[in-house]
Amino acid sequence: MIRSVDDYLSQLKKELRGCDRAMIQDALSDAEEYLRTALDSAMADGATVSEADALSHIIERYGMPEEVATAYREMEHRITPALARPSYAGEPEEPPKEKDRRHLLSWFFGVFADFRAWGAFLYLLFSLVTGILYFTWAVTGLSLSAGLLVLIIGLPFAGLFILSVWGIGLVEGRIVEALLGVRMPRRPQFHRRTGGLWPRFKSIILDGHTWLSLVYMILQLPLGITYFTLFVTLIAVSLFGIAVPILQLGFDIAININNDPYYFAGWMLPLLVVGGILLATLTMHLAKYVGLMHGALAKALLVRR
Amino acid sequence: MSGTSEETKKFQKELNAGTTALVLLGILARASEPMYGYRIARLIEASAGGVPLMKQGALYPVLRSLEGSGLLESEVEPSVSGPPRRYYRITEAGRKTLDMWREIWDQTKALVDSVMDGGEE
Repeated sequence: MIRSVDDYLSQLKKELRGCDRAMIQDALSDAEEYLRTALDSAMADGATVSEADALSHIIERYGMPEEVATAYREMEHRITPALARPSYAGEPEEPPKEKDRRHLLSWFFGVFADFRAWGAFLYLLFSLVTGILYFTWAVTGLSLSAGLLVLIIGLPFAGLFILSVWGIGLVEGRIVEALLGVRMPRRPQFHRRTGGLWPRFKSIILDGHTWLSLVYMILQLPLGITYFTLFVTLIAVSLFGIAVPILQLGFDIAININNDPYYFAGWMLPLLVVGGILLATLTMHLAKYVGLMHGALAKALLVRR
Repeated sequence: MSGTSEETKKFQKELNAGTTALVLLGILARASEPMYGYRIARLIEASAGGVPLMKQGALYPVLRSLEGSGLLESEVEPSVSGPPRRYYRITEAGRKTLDMWREIWDQTKALVDSVMDGGEE
């Protein structure tokens, strides 16, 4: 017997155990929206029934937790995540080992046609900007909240700050899903409305999700600096290799080393071009891999358990 | 519904799986303003004449999947009482898809009807 909306939500969560965490969060917020709206209007219409009775009627119409869980499970199979490639269906990413060399080559250079490699590359360069924004916001908010706590506006300010952290976490999740292809929550999770201001505030403070999101926001700056530096350097070096023959043979522009012009020997030019192309390709592979890692990190820190 | 056997339940479920998306698109195509899940569920309930044909909890995942494929779009709005609500509205692509689905539905319906009525051979 389910006595309250919270009861229902925790049962639904149990039924969905083992599913994607982002999907669980979506399912819980859908259920909460329905149940609370229905319960409110039931109680407003005729207050003759007890809350538990009204709720059991509502649940009869909405479906038991196990029925609802099944509906979400079935639907999740059919949703195509953003930028999903056919490999999403659970096929191995690399072609099977026994394939000949041509396939290996096309896999190696095929990374340039891979949406997710470009998405990850874009994300990793962009992470410097988001990193600076998140870090500044998190550090300013944290220190102002701590500093203002002695004043009367301290608690409301801290509450607003935490709400903004949740919002940013959701937006970052959308970016991560679009560019890195990792399934992230599509809807916010609402907080329990029960209890007074103080218990609600306490539950927000004790919520590990808030703090993990903050850790993510702070981590994003060092990570963003690392990603940006690494990938700008790698791409600059590969473009340099590709561009040297054009500059040297086409425009007679020499490489400047300590104010001394330096010309590469003729036999080195093809090597530089080949090296540049190889390095660019490897960089894309690295971007894709680092993107996967970062997606896993975002999922671990930004999605509520 | 008394005396519902397992087979009948299964039939109902499979039928719903196909028609839910059509019904949702149809409702949102006729709606003059964006609607949130609970209101849509109530409308469907009213259209069904109070007969509980489907569990309303099964509507939400379908709404989300329709949004995922670009047939619907949505936005969250805070509500005075209770949690924020997600309001759905149909997109241009959704309307086009609905027209095609409508045609398929009409054909299916005609087929089933003519078989059931034992119409012209």
